[in-house]
Amino acid sequence: MKEPYVLTARPCRFCGIYGAGDPQIPAELYSGQSEAPDLSGFPLPLPSKKSDYTCSAVTDDGVMWYGASTGLTRYDPAADRGDDLIMYFSADRDLPDNNVRALLAKDGGLWALTETGAAFIEMKMIGAEEKALMLLEETLKYVDRHGMVSQKHLEIPGDVASAVKYGHSDNDGGFTAEFCIGEMYRYAVYKREKGTDHPDTLAAKKVAARALEACLLLFHISGRGDGFLARSYLCPGEPVPDDGLFFRKEGGKATCIETRQSKRVGIAGKVIDASAPVPDRLAKLYRDAGYSDDGIVYKGDTSSDETTLHIMNMIVSHDIIGEDDPELDELIKISLRGLMNHILDHGYELHDCTGKPTTWAKWSGQYFVSEVGYVDACLNAAEILMYLKAAMHITGEQGRWREEYDKLIAMGYADLTEKHFDRQHQAGLSLCVEPVEDIMFGDHALATKAYFGLCMLEKDEGLLKKYRNGYKSWRTTIRREYNPGYDLPFKLACPDEEIDMEMMATWLYRTNVSRLASGVSFMGRHDTPVQKQRAGKLESSWMPPSDERFISKYDRDPVEYRNVDSGGMTCVESCYVYTHAYWMGRYYGFFN
Amino acid sequence: MDKYTNKSIHLIGNAHLDPIWLWRWQEGCSEVMQTFRSALDRLNEYDDFVFTCSSASYYRWVEEIDPDMFNEIRTRVKQGRWVPVNGWWVQPDCNIPSGESFARQALYSQLYYHEKFGRICETGYNVDSFGHNWNLPQLLTKGGMRTYVMMRPDTSENPDMPQDLFWWDGPDGTRMLTYRIQRSYARTGTHAIDEEVKYLDGRADEKNHGMMLFYGVGNHGGGPTRGDIEHIISKMDGGFQQLKFSSPDDYFDEMCAARFDIPAWSEDLQHHASGCYSATSMVKQLNRKAENWLQAAEKWNTLAVKRDGLAAATEELAKAWKDVCFNQFHDILCGCSIMEAYEDVRDSMGHAMTIAARAENNALIKLAGKVDTWVDGVSDPVALVRHGRNHQDFPRPVIVFNPLSFPVNVPVRASQPSQRVTSHDGTEAAFQNVRSSRSNDTHLDTLFMAKVPAMGYATYWLEFREWDDFENEAVSDVKADGLTIENEHMRVVFDEQAGGIKSLIGKADGYDYAQGKILAVPTVIDDHKTDTWAHKIFKFHDIKGAMKLESIELIESGPARALVRTKHVFNESCLIQEFILASGQKTLRVKCKAIWQERFTLLKMPFALGGGDPVSTYEIPGAYIKRPCDGDEEPAQAWADLTVTAADGTRRGLSLLNDSKYSYDCPVTGDGETTLRITLLRNVIFADHYSFRPPANFNFTDEGLQRFEYGIRVHTGEAEDSGVMYDAAMFNGRPVALAEGYHKGSEPQSGSFLTVTKPNILVTAFKLCEDGSGDTIIRAYECEGKNTPRVGFVCNLIEAGFWADFGKHEVKTFRIDKDGFVKETDFLEGVVEE
Repeated sequence: MKEPYVLTARPCRFCGIYGAGDPQIPAELYSGQSEAPDLSGFPLPLPSKKSDYTCSAVTDDGVMWYGASTGLTRYDPAADRGDDLIMYFSADRDLPDNNVRALLAKDGGLWALTETGAAFIEMKMIGAEEKALMLLEETLKYVDRHGMVSQKHLEIPGDVASAVKYGHSDNDGGFTAEFCIGEMYRYAVYKREKGTDHPDTLAAKKVAARALEACLLLFHISGRGDGFLARSYLCPGEPVPDDGLFFRKEGGKATCIETRQSKRVGIAGKVIDASAPVPDRLAKLYRDAGYSDDGIVYKGDTSSDETTLHIMNMIVSHDIIGEDDPELDELIKISLRGLMNHILDHGYELHDCTGKPTTWAKWSGQYFVSEVGYVDACLNAAEILMYLKAAMHITGEQGRWREEYDKLIAMGYADLTEKHFDRQHQAGLSLCVEPVEDIMFGDHALATKAYFGLCMLEKDEGLLKKYRNGYKSWRTTIRREYNPGYDLPFKLACPDEEIDMEMMATWLYRTNVSRLASGVSFMGRHDTPVQKQRAGKLESSWMPPSDERFISKYDRDPVEYRNVDSGGMTCVESCYVYTHAYWMGRYYGFFN
Repeated sequence: MDKYTNKSIHLIGNAHLDPIWLWRWQEGCSEVMQTFRSALDRLNEYDDFVFTCSSASYYRWVEEIDPDMFNEIRTRVKQGRWVPVNGWWVQPDCNIPSGESFARQALYSQLYYHEKFGRICETGYNVDSFGHNWNLPQLLTKGGMRTYVMMRPDTSENPDMPQDLFWWDGPDGTRMLTYRIQRSYARTGTHAIDEEVKYLDGRADEKNHGMMLFYGVGNHGGGPTRGDIEHIISKMDGGFQQLKFSSPDDYFDEMCAARFDIPAWSEDLQHHASGCYSATSMVKQLNRKAENWLQAAEKWNTLAVKRDGLAAATEELAKAWKDVCFNQFHDILCGCSIMEAYEDVRDSMGHAMTIAARAENNALIKLAGKVDTWVDGVSDPVALVRHGRNHQDFPRPVIVFNPLSFPVNVPVRASQPSQRVTSHDGTEAAFQNVRSSRSNDTHLDTLFMAKVPAMGYATYWLEFREWDDFENEAVSDVKADGLTIENEHMRVVFDEQAGGIKSLIGKADGYDYAQGKILAVPTVIDDHKTDTWAHKIFKFHDIKGAMKLESIELIESGPARALVRTKHVFNESCLIQEFILASGQKTLRVKCKAIWQERFTLLKMPFALGGGDPVSTYEIPGAYIKRPCDGDEEPAQAWADLTVTAADGTRRGLSLLNDSKYSYDCPVTGDGETTLRITLLRNVIFADHYSFRPPANFNFTDEGLQRFEYGIRVHTGEAEDSGVMYDAAMFNGRPVALAEGYHKGSEPQSGSFLTVTKPNILVTAFKLCEDGSGDTIIRAYECEGKNTPRVGFVCNLIEAGFWADFGKHEVKTFRIDKDGFVKETDFLEGVVEE
C-alpha cells in the first residue's frame, strides 16, 4: 500500500440561524452599507448568477463573501485545496432563506442578513477524527434508541434537541450494523495506537460493544427460536407505524398487529410462538430501561439487505472484539449459526411466521429465475456465498457451511456474481430507462459488503477472480460517488485498481459536523448543470461537496437533483456514513 | 419455450445503398429514388412486409426531388412499416471521422428524422462499414441510439469477436447491445433465403435467442423483390412459425424483453479492409482539414455572435457539416471509390471549407475589431507600415487566435519580415525571418513564437525600422550546429548517409531514443498482391527498399526554429522533408512534399525503439486504444505511440503525430526492438475490387504531388500521461494570425473566451443550438483516460460558469440558456427532448 494520506484540519461550517428581530443580530448588519461585488471577470463557476449578487464582505482571514438573492458564496482565493476555493451556503441548512440582503464581518465570522432572519457563520478548523467524534456524540445523544441508530424525527425543524424519543426505521438493524462496523474499527485503531487500557480505547470499546449487542438482539428478539432475524423492535409506549409486519410479545407468544400489510398477507391477529429466551446480555438493552419482554414489538419481513449488513458486521466484530469479549463473540457465533441454519433449512430463504419467505430475503435458484429475482440474482448470489464464508470464518467450522458453499458454487452461484452489469443493463433496456435509473442505491452498500467480504475471505484464486470481476462490475455507478466507504473496501479487494484519494479526502473534509437534516438549495444552482435521464430522472452533472448537497445514508444517488435530505427536512440522522468510512480508512492505514 | 426465450428469425427487408462507389453520386441518387419507389410498391402489395433503410441524406434527396414520394414514406413510417435506422447522415467509415464528426452525424440526422418523421432512430446500423472504433458505444448512445447492427469484420477476419448478439463495452464504460450479421446484409433469391433461414434457425437454437436475416438486393440499391417476399410468405404459410417480417428496432425490443446470456467485448471491432486506412490520401486530408476548420470556424462565429452581434452562421455551417458527413460514407472516406467520384468529393469538401473560411474570417475580423490596437500618432493605413513604405516608427499589430481550449505557445507566420516582435505586454518574442512563398518584394516572412490563451487571442507587435539595428533580444532555447538541432526538450542529430535521425535525445534526462538505430528512413513497401481494400491482408511488411538520400542540409537556424531539409529518392519518386524544431516545442514537426510515382506501394516512416514490454497506443475518435504490437495495420487518428521499458528500466515512448493520416503499424522488428511506422502514402488502383484487372490505363490513389505533415515526440511514462494529445490537437487546430489595423477598442490585447479548469478536458464544439433559440452548446471530452471530477467551465460572454464530473473518455454536451443556466444534454442538444 502507498503511504497513508495525511488528513489535516480543514475549515468546517458552523451556522447559527436567527429569526427576524432576534436581539443577538448586530445592529450594524441592518445599517451597514454592503456593496455588490464586481464579479465580471471571476475565474470560477459561481453558485448564483452574477447579477443575483447584491452584497459582499471580507472576513479577517481574507476570505470574500458574496451575498445573492439565491444564497451566499464564500470565496477563499488562498485556499490550498481547489475544492475549498468556492463554498455555497443555502437555506434551510445554512440560512433562514436564500435572499441575502446584507453581510457583515464580525467576531471572526460572518453575519448574513436575509429576508426572514439572519445567520452567523463561522468557519472552524476541524480535524477528521475530531469530526468523527463530534458526529458520534450527536448520534449517541440524539439518535440512539436502545442502542440502535438510524434517524430521529424532530418536533421542531432545525432543533436537534427536539428529537423525539421513539421512531423506528425499516433498516434500524442494517444502519446500526454499519455504525457498529465503524465503531469497531475505532476501537481497534485506539487499541493499536493508544493501548488497551487507555480511557479512549475503553470508551470506544463500550460504544462498539453496545452497538453490537443492539444488532445481535435482533437475532433473538422474536423469541421464535429458529434463528429468525428481526428488522427492528419497539418498546411499550413507542408508536407502531402502519408500515410492515409487527408482532407484540406477551407471555411467550407474539400476536401479529393489524397493519395494511398484515391484513394483506392475512396474518393480522395471528398468534405465534415467542417463547425462546433472549440472552440476558442482549436483553439488558431494554430491561435496563425498565422494560420486560412482555410488550416488546418486533418487526418482521426482514430483507436480504439487513442480513448482509449484519453478517458483515459480525465478521468485523468477531475479528476485532472477539478475543477481548468472548461472551459477545460466542453470541455472534450462536446468532450466526441460528440465522444460517434457518436460511439453509428454508431453501435459501428467510421465512416469516407465514411459512413463506419474507418479501426480499431470498437467495434461492428459484427466486433467481423469477421476474424480479433475475436482476437481483447477481448480488444475492454474492450475499449468500459471503454468508457461508463468514460462517466458516467466524465459527471456525466447515461442515454444513462448506458443503452448502461448494454446492452453490457447483450450481453456478460464483458465475452469477459476475453478471451484475449484464443483467442491470438488460433490465434497463427492457424498461427503456438508463441503468442509473433502475438502481436501488442502497444496493451499492450491499454489494460492497458482499463482494468485499468474499474477496477478503476467499483464498481460491479462481473464485477470487470471479468475485473481483463481479465487484468491478458494480463500479460504473459506485465510482461516481467517490465515497470512501465504498472505495476503500474496493481497493482492499482489488489492489490493482486505482481510487481517487483526493476526492475521498474532499468527501471527508466537506462532510458537515452535524447530521441535522433541514435540506439545501441545490436545484437551480447556476453552476450546476442538470441532466434528464431517459425515463425522466434528474441528476446533476457533478457531485458537489457533501456539505452542499442533501444528507443521505448509503442508500441514495448522491448526484440526484434534489433539495430535500433523504430523511426529510426535520430529522437528525446517524453519523455512520462518515464514521464507518473514516475509521475503516484509519484501521487499514489509508489515512493518517 | 418459456416466456423469456425467443428464437424468432426477424426478416429485415432492406436495400444496401452505396451513394458513391463504382459510380458517382448522381447515379447513387438515382439508385435511391428507384429503390425507395420499389420499396413503397412492395409495401403497397404485401400487408406484412416491413422495409428498413438508413441514412438521412437519402431521405433528404427524396424530399427535395419527389415530395409526393416522401409523403408516402412518412405515412409508412408512421405506420411502422418503413423503419429508418441509424441516426446518421450516411453509413460512414467508423474509424476515420473524428469524435466531433460522429456527433454531427447524429445531430443533423436525428434532428432531420425528428422533424420529418416525429421520431429519432434508436438503432445504429452500419452493416458495410469496414471496422468499428471502440468509442462507438458512447458515440452512438449520445446520438440517441441504444442498439447496434454491424457486420465487418467477418468471422474469417476476426474469429475472436463474438458472433450474433453481444454486449459491446466502450472505453468509457458505455455498453451497447450489438448484433453482428453473420454472413450477408443482402440475401436475395429463394435458394439464398432458404439457406440463410436454415443457418439462422440452427444458430438461434445454439444461442438460445432470436436472429435477424437481412434480405433484399443491395449495394447498388434494389431492395426486396416480389420473388423474395412471396417466397418468404410461402415459407411462413408452410409452417416456419419462427419467421416474421420485422425491423432491427422490433428485433432488439423483443430481445430486450427476453433473457439471454451473451458475451461481452471490450475492444474495437477490427480488421476489415486494412488498406482503406491509408488509400487515397486526398480524401483523408480533406476530411481532417474540413473537420478542424469547421470546428474552429463555428467557435469563432459563436463568439462573434454572442459578443458583437454578428449574424449566426449556424445554417451555413450545418450545410458544410452535411457535406463532410456525406463524404465520410465508408466507400468514399476509405478511398475505394472510382477516381471520378473524388472529383465530386473534392468539390463538395471545397464547398464545406469555403463556408468555414468565410465564417471564420468574418468572425475573426469582427472579434479583432474590438481589440484596442490604437497607437498614438498613427494616421495612415497599416498596409503602409507593413510594407515598410511609411511610418516605420510604428510596430504593426498581428492578432493571433487560438481555437483550442487550452493555452498554446506556437510558431506563427506573418507576412513580411520584422526586426523585433513583442507581445501585448512588451515581452520580447522569439522570431526569425523566413523565406516566404512569394517571389517578389522582400521574399521574407516573420515567424514568431506566440503565446495565446485558451480559446482566445493575443496581440503581437511586429516592428521593422530600416534605420535601426535591432538585436533580437528574445531568449531562445533553439540551437543548430551542422546536422544537429535542439531546443529545451529535444536534441536531434541527422545521419548524413541515410538522411534519417541517428540520435534523438529527450533532454529531460538525456536518454537517446535512437539507441544506435537510424530512425525515419522512408521505406517503400510492396503492395501489388492485393486490391484497394487489401482484402484479407492485414500486414504490410514486404519491404521493397529504403529511399536513398539525395541531399541533406541545415536550412534555418534562429531563435524561433531550426530546420533541416532532406531529399530522398526512389526510382522516379522523391520525398522532401523539412524537419522543424521550434522554440519550446515538444514535437519535431516534419513538413513533407512527395512526388510519388511508385505503383502498388505504401510509403512508411519507421521508428524503432529498443526495450521490452512494448505497448502501442492509438488515438481513436474521442478516445484512445491500446493494441498489441503484432504488426497488423491499425486505423488511428492524429497520433500513435509506442512505449517500451528501456534498458535503464524506465518506461519510454515515441509518439507520431500527423495532420492527415490514419494508418500505422507496430511490428516487433528484432530482439527487444519494436518499430512504430506511420503509413504516409498508399498508391494502388482506384476501386480495384478483388484485383480482377482487365488491362486499362489505371489511375492510382496517391499518384503525383502529395503534401502532408507528421511530427515526432518522445516521453517517459505511458502515452496517456505524456501530453501527446495536446500536441496532436495543436498540430491540427492551428492558430490564425490576423494582420490588424490600428484602432481603438473596448477589449484588451489578449484574452480568453473560455476557461476549462482541467487540462485533460478538450472542447470540440462551441456552437449555437440548432433550434434557433440562441442557446449555446459546449461539447468536451476527457482525453487522458482518467476519471476527472469537478471540471469548471467559465465563459463570461454567455454568463456561464458551471461544474461537471467527467468519467474516463467521457464526452459531455452542455446547453446554456440566455441566463447562463446549464443543462447537460447529448449530441441532439435537447432539441428532441420535449
